[in-house]
Amino acid sequence: MNLDWSVVWQFSGTLAKGAGITILLTIATMAVAVPGGIVLALMRLSPNRVLNWMALCFVEFFRNIPLILLVYWSFYVLPVLSGLTLPPFTTGLVALALNVSAYNSETFRAGINSIRKGQSEAGLALGMSHIEVMRKIVLPQAARRVLPVLASTWVSLFKDTSLVSVIAVGELAHTALEIRSQTFRILEILTAMAVIYWVLGYPQAKLADWIYRKWGVKE
Amino acid sequence: MDFDFSPVTDNWRYLATGLGITLLLSILTVVCSLIAGTLIALGRMYGPTWLQKILTFYIDSQRAIPVLVVLVWIYFALPVLTGVNFPPFWAALLALTLHISAYVAEIVRAGISSVRNGQTQAGLVLGMSPRQVLTKIILPQAIIRMLPSIGSIISITIKDTAIAAVIAVPELMKRAETVSGQTFRPMEVFTTIMVVYFLVLFPTTRLIDRLYDRVSYRGRS
Amino acid sequence: MSNVTEADFGRKNASSTPVVEYRDVRKQYGNFTALDGVSARVNRGEVLCLIGPSGSGKSTLLRTTNALEVIDGGQLYFDGHPLPSSKAEIRKVRQRMGMVFQSFELFPHKTVLENITIGPLTVLGISEAEANARARVLLEKVGLTDKADRYPANLSGGQQQRVAIARALAMEPEVMLFDEPTSALDPETIGEVLNVMKRLADEGMTMVVVTHEMSFARRVADWVVVFDHGKIVEQGPPAQIFDAPREDRTRNFLSHLGWNG
Repeated sequence: MNLDWSVVWQFSGTLAKGAGITILLTIATMAVAVPGGIVLALMRLSPNRVLNWMALCFVEFFRNIPLILLVYWSFYVLPVLSGLTLPPFTTGLVALALNVSAYNSETFRAGINSIRKGQSEAGLALGMSHIEVMRKIVLPQAARRVLPVLASTWVSLFKDTSLVSVIAVGELAHTALEIRSQTFRILEILTAMAVIYWVLGYPQAKLADWIYRKWGVKE
Repeated sequence: MDFDFSPVTDNWRYLATGLGITLLLSILTVVCSLIAGTLIALGRMYGPTWLQKILTFYIDSQRAIPVLVVLVWIYFALPVLTGVNFPPFWAALLALTLHISAYVAEIVRAGISSVRNGQTQAGLVLGMSPRQVLTKIILPQAIIRMLPSIGSIISITIKDTAIAAVIAVPELMKRAETVSGQTFRPMEVFTTIMVVYFLVLFPTTRLIDRLYDRVSYRGRS
Repeated sequence: MSNVTEADFGRKNASSTPVVEYRDVRKQYGNFTALDGVSARVNRGEVLCLIGPSGSGKSTLLRTTNALEVIDGGQLYFDGHPLPSSKAEIRKVRQRMGMVFQSFELFPHKTVLENITIGPLTVLGISEAEANARARVLLEKVGLTDKADRYPANLSGGQQQRVAIARALAMEPEVMLFDEPTSALDPETIGEVLNVMKRLADEGMTMVVVTHEMSFARRVADWVVVFDHGKIVEQGPPAQIFDAPREDRTRNFLSHLGWNG
């Protein structure tokens, strides 16, 4: 077997750029999916049946289809629906955000539901307004339940960004697979790709564990 | 906008066998991952220190690397290293099992540690050996407690098999790609199989939750 | 084995080998001394009650009896032999002792009947028919014949604890250890458990009972041991402990509980 690891150094700049896009995509998706999740969670908790039902359908649908299929679907269907030609990055972002918003909404909903009714009643009894009760009593407690789950969603999202490689978003996986087909240095490039993901992902996974240990609510 | 679902109806048999392959790959992956994951968890909890370290590293690494990366590495890179070519289906089974068993191991570990210590003592005072305590008392309860998580593992597995399309496993996702490419009707084809996946996944998770509701009291000590 | 001392005068089977004997037993958790040189004996057919404030070491002593806690000093004898240190030998000893926990610890994935048969089946290796027959007899004894096929989750606390007693008896133990068996129970179900224990005592079972139920200790115990700060404050027949305690600390403890004879 002749291996030539120099190919990894030769393309290190390209790979680094791909890794940068992976990280950017992760951040951008979360930036959309956190507000998205909150809106969906509030819809789910609202007394309005229509809002409630719409949010439920959204959440259950996007949690129960493969993400890679959603990526393809967004790539082919979004331009038709919107009449716009979207760049692959945006398309990938939309697909990821739809998926992660659905998950986040469940995270937020569980967080808010976990606060016992007595807690908000105690706040109301002190003369606080509903908004004050939400801000000062419910949300801080909910944050302790939400944060660890968000952290683990973050790690999953970081890995899931690799799936948008199938629509040629130039993130790490796509970049590496491209270099592979140019150079035929299959083992070297694919191993390098795995190692880069590991180097980036391992500390994130450990950080998520740490947040869980520090913040997680044990029952 | 005009819709034409004839590509789907014309190729329904082709797509349906794809669904069959999706389900077969899912079932095999879940079974293999449950077995491997349980062994990994037991090794991590009760094995010698060096084994615990290796397994912890393995689990954390799988949590850090995307399943797509594992798939393409096993399918494309491993043959370069070993000289043995796996057919796509078996490469996918291997890669998915490597990945998902790490998650199963974490679930099994959490399940076992959630059974409280008094149960172990109750077994020990009857004169049971640690192995008997584990197999007769702890594991059965842990498995019941793990049911909801196993439900999500099944769901994740079915969804992850779609990623095997990138190494050309002829499962539902891959076949949808083929049909849509040949007929230039991606919207209809992908929308249809999206609904199909939903119809498989949604009842599966619901069924497991329902089952858990019925037996959960047997795991509550 | 050990000579009859003045303190043992008049105790049941005082002249024969005690079932359990603690000699200067010590147990340490870090800086905390849980047992600070405890000596006591449990004679055959005797009901010995361990009483004292929470954290005084009485449960710890009970748990050293079957090596759930390993002692750091002193000696422990079971049936005249030192408690073995090998795991296999400990298992043999445990098979001859029954234990009942404060929190029942029934196996939730097993029916009531299976909870009682699991010990004999897995450890003693007797036939299923024999184990079932034995379990039915015990269920009748604890008054739960109709619950054989229920799961623990469907029983009240008192019923669960009675099953736990039957589970321990199924091993046909020589001594029964009770670790605050009624502390986790609703007040209205405490009586049914104490009644089962009383009947067991009347049949001549050797029992060591950690309890806060003073009237039970007064009525059923043959010998009462009072604990405080890891040491035995006083031991004697219930009439002495409850009616004429010799130590101030015994008197204090009892009066804190509202005991006034």
